[in-house]
Parts: sequence; C-alpha cells; structure tokens
Amino acid sequence: MNILLFLTVLLVAACALIYELIAGTIASYLVGDSVFQFSTVIGTYLFAMGLGSALSRYLNKGLIQRFIWIELMLGVVGGFSSAALMWAFAFSEGFHIVLYALVIVMGVLVGLEIPLLMRIVKDRYSFRDVVAHVLTFDYLGALGASLLFPILLIPHLGLIRSALFFGLINAGVALWSTFLFAPQLMEKRTLRAACFVVLCLLAGGIVKAKQITATAEDNIYADEIIFARDTRYQHIVLTRFKDDLRLFLNSHLQFSSRDEYRYHEALVHPGLAAVPFAKTVLVLGGGDGLAVREILKYPQVDKVTLVDLDPEMTKLFSTQSMLINLNQKSLSSPRLQVINADAFPWVDQNTQSFDFIVIDFPDPTNYALGKLYTTAFYRAVARHLSAQGFMVVQSTSPMFARDSFWCIVETLHKSGLQTFPYHVYVPSFGEWGFVLAGTHEYVAPTSLPSALRFLNPEGIPLLFQFPPDMGPVPMPANQLNTQVLVRTYENDWKDISH
Amino acid sequence: MKIGRRQFLGTSSAALIGLSLKSEKKIEGSFVNESVVAGHLLRDRKPFPPARQTIKTPLVIVGGGISGLSAAWRLRKRGFNDFVLLEMNAQAGGNARSGENEITAYPWAAHYVPIPGPKAEYVRELFTDLGVLQDGQWEERYLAFAPQERLFLYGRWQDGIEPSFGLTQKDREQFQRLEEAFAKYRASGAFTVPLEIGYSNKFAELDQTPFTDWLATQGFDSRLLNWYMNYACRDDYGALARDTSAWAGIHYFSSREAEEKGPLTWPEGNGWITKRLLKRVHENVRTDQMVNKIVPTARGASVFAGEIEYQAKFVIFSAPTFLAPYIIDDFPPLKTFVYSPWLTANLTLERLPVTRGAEPSWDTVFLDSPTLGYVDATHQSLRTHIDRTVWTFYWALADGTPSQNRQTLLSSDWNFWKEAILKDLERVHKDIRQCVSRMDIMRMGHAMVRPVPGTISSEERVKLKRRDQRILFANSDLSGISIFEEAQFHGVEAAQAVLRRLGGTRNAPGESR
Repeated sequence: MNILLFLTVLLVAACALIYELIAGTIASYLVGDSVFQFSTVIGTYLFAMGLGSALSRYLNKGLIQRFIWIELMLGVVGGFSSAALMWAFAFSEGFHIVLYALVIVMGVLVGLEIPLLMRIVKDRYSFRDVVAHVLTFDYLGALGASLLFPILLIPHLGLIRSALFFGLINAGVALWSTFLFAPQLMEKRTLRAACFVVLCLLAGGIVKAKQITATAEDNIYADEIIFARDTRYQHIVLTRFKDDLRLFLNSHLQFSSRDEYRYHEALVHPGLAAVPFAKTVLVLGGGDGLAVREILKYPQVDKVTLVDLDPEMTKLFSTQSMLINLNQKSLSSPRLQVINADAFPWVDQNTQSFDFIVIDFPDPTNYALGKLYTTAFYRAVARHLSAQGFMVVQSTSPMFARDSFWCIVETLHKSGLQTFPYHVYVPSFGEWGFVLAGTHEYVAPTSLPSALRFLNPEGIPLLFQFPPDMGPVPMPANQLNTQVLVRTYENDWKDISH
Repeated sequence: MKIGRRQFLGTSSAALIGLSLKSEKKIEGSFVNESVVAGHLLRDRKPFPPARQTIKTPLVIVGGGISGLSAAWRLRKRGFNDFVLLEMNAQAGGNARSGENEITAYPWAAHYVPIPGPKAEYVRELFTDLGVLQDGQWEERYLAFAPQERLFLYGRWQDGIEPSFGLTQKDREQFQRLEEAFAKYRASGAFTVPLEIGYSNKFAELDQTPFTDWLATQGFDSRLLNWYMNYACRDDYGALARDTSAWAGIHYFSSREAEEKGPLTWPEGNGWITKRLLKRVHENVRTDQMVNKIVPTARGASVFAGEIEYQAKFVIFSAPTFLAPYIIDDFPPLKTFVYSPWLTANLTLERLPVTRGAEPSWDTVFLDSPTLGYVDATHQSLRTHIDRTVWTFYWALADGTPSQNRQTLLSSDWNFWKEAILKDLERVHKDIRQCVSRMDIMRMGHAMVRPVPGTISSEERVKLKRRDQRILFANSDLSGISIFEEAQFHGVEAAQAVLRRLGGTRNAPGESR
C-alpha cells in the first residue's frame, strides 16, 4: 500500500509539471519571447495552485471520490491542453485568453491534488511522515518530468501527444485509485465507467493526433508542428524550432523564416526595380504575403493584386500574430487586393494589365500544378503584361532540378518572351532559380529600395551568371498536352535522393 | 421462440445488408434525350397530321447533326442563307450533342477529333474558323491534356490503352509486326480521312473479310493484341472485330499519322464544335421538327414536318440513311446499312474515387470490360483544383446481334443500366457508389453505322453518294464509318453541289473536288 500510494503522488506531480512545461513551451514557440512567456505561465500556474490549495478546505466529504474526479478532469483538460492551444493559435485572436484560462484551470486542479491526498492518508501516518513522504515524492516526480520533457517527450512524441499521454496517466491514476482505496469508496462502478470514458477519449485523441500530423509527417518535419490543417485545397503545416518558422504545403517546404528574405528579395527586386514606373503589380500564388511585403517597399506601386487559391491560407497569413510579424501585415495593406481564385481561369478571364507580375507557385510536382508552367499559361499571363513590364517566375532549383529549370526557361521562350534566368542561394532550399521574362531587353536596376538584407545593385548582375554545373541544357517546352515538366521534375529529384 | 442458427444468420445478414444499403448514397438520374418513340412512329408508318401551311424554299437540310450543320456552315459561309435545317430533337448536334451542369459541360457522344491530316481540308478550314488552328499551330488548350489515356489491367494502371504491361515475348513481337503491317497500309495512301479521297478497289478484297479472320491468317493470335483490336472496333464502330470488315479495322490504324500531339478535345467533347456551328447557322435551324415524309416532285421535293410542307428544289438528307425508306416516297429498301446500338451515361461525381498509382486521366479503360470506360469532362479544365467532376461512360453493345441488343437496350429500365454501369466501374473503383450522385443515361438504338464486311465496297453506298439527284445524301454513314470528319465532309460536299446546281452562286476557285 505504502509504495503504491506514494507512486501515485509521484505520477500526479509529474503530470502537473508536464502541463506547465507544455503551456510555457507552446506560448514561447507560437508567440516568441520565451522569457516572458515562461515566467508568466509559471507565475500564473503557481498562483492558481495556491488558489486550489486554498479552495481545498471547502471540500469535506467523499475526499477520495473528489480526488478521482479531479484526476479525471485534469486528465481531460491537461491532456487536450496542447491541442486546444494550437487550435486557439490557428483559429482565434484570443490565444492568450485561452492560454491563461487553461493555465488557471489546470493550476487550480493541481493545487487541489496534494492537500486532498495528504488528508486522505493523514489517518494512516503521523503528520510528520505524511508531509515528508508526500513532498519527497512530489519533488521526485517533478524532477523526472523535467528531465523526460526535453529528452524524450518533445523529440519523440511532440507537444500534442505528450500532453495526451500525461492525460492518460492522470486518468490511469484515477482508475487505479478506485482499486487502491476500494474499501472506503462508494459508487465504484460509476467512477470506473467515467475513468473508462476519459481513457478512451484520450487514447482516441492520440490516434487522431497521429492522423492529423499524418504518420509520415513525423519523419518529414524535423521540427515541432505548431499548426496542421487540411483545407479544401491543400495540407498546410507550420513548424517551429527556436526562431525558425517553416511553412509546408502538401509536405513541400515553402519558406524558412530564417532565410526567406533571400528568396523573396531575389524573387521581387531584380525585376520590379527594373520597371521604375511600375504602378500595378500582380502576384499569382504567394498567399503568405512575403512577396507582397517586398513589393510594398516601392512607394510608386499603388495597386497590388494577389491571386491565391486558398482563402484559409491568406486568412492565416493576415491574422496570425507570428505570421503577420513575418510579412509585416502586407496582406492588410490598403494597396492590396486579395482574390481567392484558381489562377489559370482567373488569368484567362481577367482583362487588366500589370507592370510587373510575380508567379510564385509550388513546384510542378503533379499534373494539376504542371498546368501553371505551360506555354498556354504563360501566353495567357503575357497578355496582362504592360508594354515595358516584366514577369518573374519561381522556377525550382537549377542545381537539383537542372532539366526542370531549363525546361521552364524554354517554355517561357516558346511563349514568345525574352527570358533572363538567374539564381540565388537560399540555405534552407539550396541554389534556387528564377526567370524574368518580358518582350524587351532586361537592364539590371542601379538602385533598390533601402534596407534590403540580401540584395544590392552591384550584386544583381552576378545573379544572372550560371556556373557550368547549372548551365543551360536543351529541353522541350512544357505544354498542356505533353506535361514534360512534371516527369522531368520527378526524375530530377529522384536522381538527387538516390 | 427458439431462433435456429440458420434463421439467426439470415436475419442478421439481412440487417447487415440493410445497414450497408442505408449508408449508400442515393443516386438520382433518368434516361435522357430519348428519340425512340418518334423513331418508331416512322418505323411503324403511323399516319401524321396533314400539312396546313406551304413554304417554298430552295433547300431543306434534313437532320441537324454534324453533317447538316456543316452543310449549313458551308452555305452561309458562301453567302447563301435561303434554306432551312430541320432537326427532330429539341437540341441539334446529333452524335455531337452535349449537356452542362453546375460542375462542367460534358459530351453525350462523340468527344474528340484526331488532329486532321493535310487531306482533311474542310476540317482544317473549320478549325481555322473556330480558332483551333492558328498560323499552322493547334491551340494548346484544345489538345487533350496529359495524362491522356490509362488502362487498368492485372490490378494496376498503365499509361496508354495499348497494353504494355504483362506482355510475353510473343505478344511484343506480334504488336511490333502488326504496327509494321499497318505502316505499310498507311504508306499505300489508300486509307485516308476522309475515306473517299484515298479509296481504291486495290484493297477491296479486305472488305470481304472479317477483321478477326484477317488477324488470324496473318498469325496474330496474342490475347492482348486481339483484346486491343476488339477494343478499337468497339470504340470506333460499336462492333466486335469479327463483325467488322478487315478494311475498316485497318483503316482505324492506318488512316492517321502516329501523332504524339493527341486529339483535339473539349470538356463537352464535339458539342463544343456544335455550339460554334450553331452560333453561325442558328437562324436557319428549326428544332423539334421531325420530317415524316419526303415526296420527290418534278422540280425537287416536298418535305413534310409537323404542319408545314416545304416545297424545296433540293434536299440534303443528313439524317441517318437507314431512315430514307421510311421517309422518302417510293424509296427502295436498303441492303447495306447496319447500325450499332450504344448507350452513354453522364455520372456526376461529388468526389473522385480513391485511386492509387495513377493520376486522373482524360480517358480510362479497363482490360476485359465489355464497356469502353469513361472520359473525364473536367480533364480539359484550366483549373488546378478539381474536386467534383462528370464522367461520360461509353458502352457499345457489340456482343450479339444489333437487333437483339437494341431489344435489351430498350426493354431494360434505368435502374438496370445504372447497376450494370456501377458494377463495371466497381471492378476498379471500389468506392464509386459513394462518389456518384447522379447518372443520366442516353440510349441510342442506331448510334452509328457499322462497317460489317461488304459495307465499304458496297455499290449501294457508292450510288447513294451521287450528287446529281434532287435529294442528296450526306450522313457520315455514306462512308461506312461514323466519324466527325466523314460527317463534315459529306455535309460540305452536298452543300457545294447544291450551290453549283442552283447556279450563279459564288463558287470559290479550287473548291470543287
């Protein structure tokens, strides 16, 4: 009896600390400023525990039963706390309200646990022994949890499943207590049924969590998944490790917040700075608002039109605090019009003309996306280009997918455009390629917006030089009826992975 | 009451079936575009109400399929507008009709035109008019998008319909040898589209032999090769290879260059062409006008439709030729023409079935299925994201005699055919019943002419092509094969003959053949 009883204390203590650590970690992952987040979360949690301890004096009857109910509640609230915080981050403005509300509820419940346990066992031991033993195991549990959390739980289970797992332990303690204290307990059946329901709920959560983050994803994403969502159009995943925020669409990396400035400066400025009169700009794809952020650095641009398929994507990047920090609220600019539409039909039916067009689609990994890299598409886009305008196309890696890159160049060329391919180094991507295209000769700009982190006017001409291992290769143009690019791309990347 | 084990099993399995039926989606739909009732009035020589009005006109075109519409297109293009086109159905287009729902437009029958070779002058002219051919370039968005065709065989998918998986050495050798044989016939120049341009008696004996016999004499006994030849005959002629003349079988493969560009197609199939032809000729088109009688007169013919008698100098008979003995007074019975019964179905899918190992393709075929598979109407969409779609399912009732199959086609109800189609799809798409929300079915008793042995070389066929009569025949069945190019060719040729004989009309140089 003794050892089992104190093991209960140890487990309960471990759970309590884990929930606190999870809340602190999620808050600092999602909002940043970890010192502030951790200290406010810990402070609030401890305060709520004190509140729980104070409230414990009002509980008089059926202590064991109450203890079991508290364990079950804590199992549910703590178990789903991670998922709830992620959800709040993704879907509501009130992340902090949800955070502190959860921390207070969990703190109060945790604060009730130890006083109740002490009172339950007070008649079996002397006061001196109760205090000594309970607190010993309490602190021991805390030590275990604090070591498990960074070493085992976060790397192997992730935040959502760690919380659920400890929720299971809480519920397990509840079930176990119905046996441990069986002689003093009434309504054992009801309690056990409740335990069973909670255990199922949490186990279901673990299975579901595995589905949400798709079994394979644990291998694809090195970092913690802080947001995962299947929209009507795609699978959006955000991961975070320290200050590195990454966006994945259908498991393909779109940017890393550490070096995306290189990508987006290179995507926009070599072309846009060369069209000094540019007033209207069209962005196709790029629902993250990062290309728009660069475009808005030109005061003479008075209208930017962003066409992105997925309204959930543009909504996410115009409301989420961490993401709007990154795109500097570009999607809320009064100069910007966001249109959620399929790009090809939109381009086909629209009649506006633009001075600069940014085409920033995911790589041509399937036939559907492949349509957006065809002569038919580029011809349709070119009809929107004003006489002195340029378009720029993100064109995958000339290093890893050399044939694909030059296939895109040839496709633009066959569409009746002059092409000016260039490339940059983006650490998280490797060598990356772009193609400027227009109906006249390109002259590199001599001035750029101030405060760029990567590009300067002297460096731009250098981007257009290709070393021999990335140099031109003869490729056919990509057409709707052949879609050679999709197969080429598949082969290019197959070669890399072998 | 004691429940026996057997009874218990019975009731519980009934309960299970009940559950599974309950979870199944309800599929709406009906037969559509039925013209069998009107057709049988003609067949049974039922009396029609007398005419109450007489209209004099130089020309009446009977039938608003591709032949009739092409005749009208040629006439108006030459500045001749004084004619009427009478179409029995509510919608013109014949085998090039189409439908549309909130998801997409879709075809009801013919759904593509192969890239016309240099000899198909009229087709090229039309496509130039319609912006499909510009400066010698085919408009990319009208070429069938990749991936075009896929075949399901031995539990997996392959690209293309010609089997390329699970072939033995012998199969490969025979496919290779057959391709060489077809190449020789192609090089002879006798197998052309339009058929009339290259046709010569040199290969007439091929037309006396069933295609299967020809294959057997040449030593082609590979199962997969014979499946593929049968598929080709069912696809283009609605017939098995044994009911197809060897000449026609060879024509299918030897009349076109091995084009890698793929055919021209549109979401609504050849309905796209119909719409554009109608835009140009709609003023002359009268729908819901079934011609019930044509009486040849001294200066032309009287054409009776509804309450109107059209007194015409000329008639272009673009309707299927088998109708002629039932409509035209004192017309002798026809001996040559055999027609294949078909059904097509348009299935609305709320989602795509789960498919592993293949991307959605334009045309999907299953090995050893009695049907021809299906075509995806949204495949030609420019959209990148497609969740709902329409499939057009094709089924030529080829096995058995045409009259027996017509009987089956007409006597079975919608539910029978719906189940038959779903069962065929279920062989490959297990979850198809969860995807389909609607299935409309079109039954065609005489869908297309069948080139049985003797059809192509028939004298009757040649005689009907004469252009020196007052009634000029122009249906594609005059060629013995039912394809867009033949229908258009005969329509245009008939129109030009009428223009010449009406005299004094603008006849562009080099136009007459």
